[in-house]
Amino acid sequence: MVTRERPGTAADAVQGAVPRLVLEPSTVEEAVEAMARAAAEKLALAFVGGGTDLGLGGRPSRLDAVLRTGALSRLVDHAPADQVVTAEAGMTLAALSEVLARHRQRLALDAPFPGRATVGGVVAANAFGPRRARFGAARDLVLGVSLVRADGVAARGGAKVVKNVAGFDLPRLMVGSLGTLALLTRVTFRVHPLPETEGTVLFPGLDVDQVRSLSAAWRAAQLEPVSAVALFASDRLDLGVRFEGFEAGVADQVGRLLELSRKAGIPGERLPAPGAAGFWARHDAVRERGSLRVKLSAPPSRLGEMARSWLPTLLGELSPGAAAVYPTLGLAFASGEPASAAGLVAGVRDARAAIVAAGGSLTIGEAPAAIRPAVDPWGPPPPSIDLMRALKERFDPERRLAPGRFVGGI
Amino acid sequence: MSGPASLSDLAGRMAAVVGARNCFSAGPDLLTYECDGLTHGRTRPDLVVLPGSTAEVVEVVRLARASGRPIVPRGSGTGLSGGARPVPGCVVVALSRMRRILEVNLEDGWVRVEPGVLNLDVTKHVSAAGHYYAPDPSSQSICSIGGNVAENSGGAHCLKYGFTVNHVLGARLVLHDGKVVDIGGPALDAPGHDLLAALVGSEGMLGIVTEVTLRLLRKPEATRTFFATFPSTDEGGEAVSRIIAAGILPAAIEMMDRLAIEAAKAATGLDWPDVGAALLMDADGPAAEVEDLSARAVKIAREVGALELRLPRNEAERQLMWKGRKSAFAAVGRISPNYLVEDGTIPRSEIAPVLREIESMARDNGLRVANVFHAGDGNLHPLVLYDARNGGEEERAENLGGDILRMCVRRGGSITGEHGVGAEKAAYMADMYGESDLETMQWVRAAFDPEGAMNPGKVFPKLRLCGEKPGPGGLEHPAVKSGEVQRW
Repeated sequence: MVTRERPGTAADAVQGAVPRLVLEPSTVEEAVEAMARAAAEKLALAFVGGGTDLGLGGRPSRLDAVLRTGALSRLVDHAPADQVVTAEAGMTLAALSEVLARHRQRLALDAPFPGRATVGGVVAANAFGPRRARFGAARDLVLGVSLVRADGVAARGGAKVVKNVAGFDLPRLMVGSLGTLALLTRVTFRVHPLPETEGTVLFPGLDVDQVRSLSAAWRAAQLEPVSAVALFASDRLDLGVRFEGFEAGVADQVGRLLELSRKAGIPGERLPAPGAAGFWARHDAVRERGSLRVKLSAPPSRLGEMARSWLPTLLGELSPGAAAVYPTLGLAFASGEPASAAGLVAGVRDARAAIVAAGGSLTIGEAPAAIRPAVDPWGPPPPSIDLMRALKERFDPERRLAPGRFVGGI
Repeated sequence: MSGPASLSDLAGRMAAVVGARNCFSAGPDLLTYECDGLTHGRTRPDLVVLPGSTAEVVEVVRLARASGRPIVPRGSGTGLSGGARPVPGCVVVALSRMRRILEVNLEDGWVRVEPGVLNLDVTKHVSAAGHYYAPDPSSQSICSIGGNVAENSGGAHCLKYGFTVNHVLGARLVLHDGKVVDIGGPALDAPGHDLLAALVGSEGMLGIVTEVTLRLLRKPEATRTFFATFPSTDEGGEAVSRIIAAGILPAAIEMMDRLAIEAAKAATGLDWPDVGAALLMDADGPAAEVEDLSARAVKIAREVGALELRLPRNEAERQLMWKGRKSAFAAVGRISPNYLVEDGTIPRSEIAPVLREIESMARDNGLRVANVFHAGDGNLHPLVLYDARNGGEEERAENLGGDILRMCVRRGGSITGEHGVGAEKAAYMADMYGESDLETMQWVRAAFDPEGAMNPGKVFPKLRLCGEKPGPGGLEHPAVKSGEVQRW
């Protein structure tokens, strides 16, 4: 078989850069051939899975071809007894979930757009959802990768077992590398049992101090929610806390959290299933909608500034705008429609300056073309940028893999 | 800086940096540094230097490199794979003087420490406040955080909580040329490549870590432990599989076979019965959940045919049960004059057949193997027993150990679950990875250390680079630069 190819169209654009060629390998072997050809012809490449995170990072400075992984979508191996799964990079999270659910298992990585987001894309973009609070992000769940290097050579890292420290950690190095180091063709993950039940408790209309005191209280009481999310609702916060596991443990933790909140004078209730689904759908909308989407990260102790200053600075420039805070992780997302390009540029700049000074970061996940040129997608490069450049030089000396898209213009 | 002319010149300049007491090239102290926890295969370093600060590490690295000497970083020296074994003509940089706990931030859940701080001391420091540091290698009372970072150390509880790499938020790194770089930090998802992922587990080959920011966890509300015995490891393995299949994620689930039980009893005086397998399981978390999980697991153990089930009545009894497990390696010394500790991983579901295969391989070689393992994640620690006084037995033991590791790879596993590759298992890397895999890992190394000056001779097998062109962009292979291999 030969990789399917066709001319690129506007639908294949990466942040407006239209490739002249689209490569669609349907097997790992074809992907290796396509990469070897790109190396021989010195093609500048971008890798596209479900295309859900194409707004992340900068516009490619050169783009000859887009390599789409959508046809590379098979399940390679699932060993339920070992709780390990290997999938081709283009398999969607939803398709993987379906396979795993037959064995009452799941990949505990609840990234946005599960119907489109691919496992390779999720790893490359370090995409995650609220369950990160309990299960970690891609770097905590990935065990192995197969990749194709810029020079067209296939390589592998990690293993198909949960515990392995042999050799340098290529799988985790791929997490968040946004296609700047290599093409992912297969990913091996650790999977978890599907919980018997879940319970979501909603505390509506809190101020940020109540969110802080409640999360401090459940931490002190040694409760272990799998997710905690505060959604902005005008100038108040609706806090949702989810527990998962066997019925006995979930019921107990829900009851104890409600008891803690009663003592603090904070009203809350365990949502029935439809209500819980509604709350989490509201969260998903924040992550999935809007022509502007940004991620904020800071130490969790800066929650006050996050909710009172940094997010309102951004929300003030969005109409409509929405925001979700993961209070235990120090992460937040804002999204919406810019009222004016100039105002938004200023808002991003001000919020970023404050959050960087607090030791955090503000990154653009999606942005309208009008503001792109005026806003760096990543912010100031980290002190270790020289090492990242050196890494790029070793993996991709011709700078053909997503050039210009990454931090510091990598 | 001009390079020191001679070893004595270098020693003099090093002494001026770190103090004469903290630098030596002869004498009985040098012996300690000829090997790490893997005591065979000793190599005498040219010089041992114990810097006391990042600034001193920078000077030490610059001096060593100016003299053309490779550098071997070292923590407590408890590693079991020869990861801190010197190479001829090297400078050993031992971080054991750097043991300050620099900063604690419980609200954000982290602690910043120097690399010589002992693993258990981190937990002791924050324990009163209800926190702990999760990775718990059996050597946790003596191994250092710097060493844990180098080896990506695990421990019994990493089944639920992950390895060192999952608990390191940031690091300060001194590179081969003395540059100091800060990587990561207390906020999640700093933009850029995940250099921490490359650093943790790189076995001291990317630089010298002089500060580490570690994630602290809130202590679980409750821990329930049970000890179960089985006629053989077949039933024990079946119990583990069924507990996991039932959707239970234990904090730890450990197994020992007949020989290992015998050794642990001899060493600790525990009243464990003579049985074919013993299982030790921890469940932790909120109390009600833990009671439920523990009851489910105990029920499964009974159904599978446990001979006996013991539940500790108090924390002291629980600690005693764990003591039997944690002292198992050393305990084997009671039943054999010499032994090798191996560390391989297999898919968890293959525990029973693999143990039978190990037994048959041991029989074929006229040797005994005791097995202690982290059953939940398939991490085996076969202890190959031998008597060095019997001619050829040591070599047979080493060969058997190697065969066991290769069998782990054949079964889809790994040559090391937590001890690292080091000098000892470098030769087996080629059984697990292909040439292009290893070459790609070398690119990571070269990005940090193009000279191959940091801890050469570890992890990577001796390569044959016959006819190979220089790497991409004409960059030279670090293994060639370091003199580990020559082109021909």
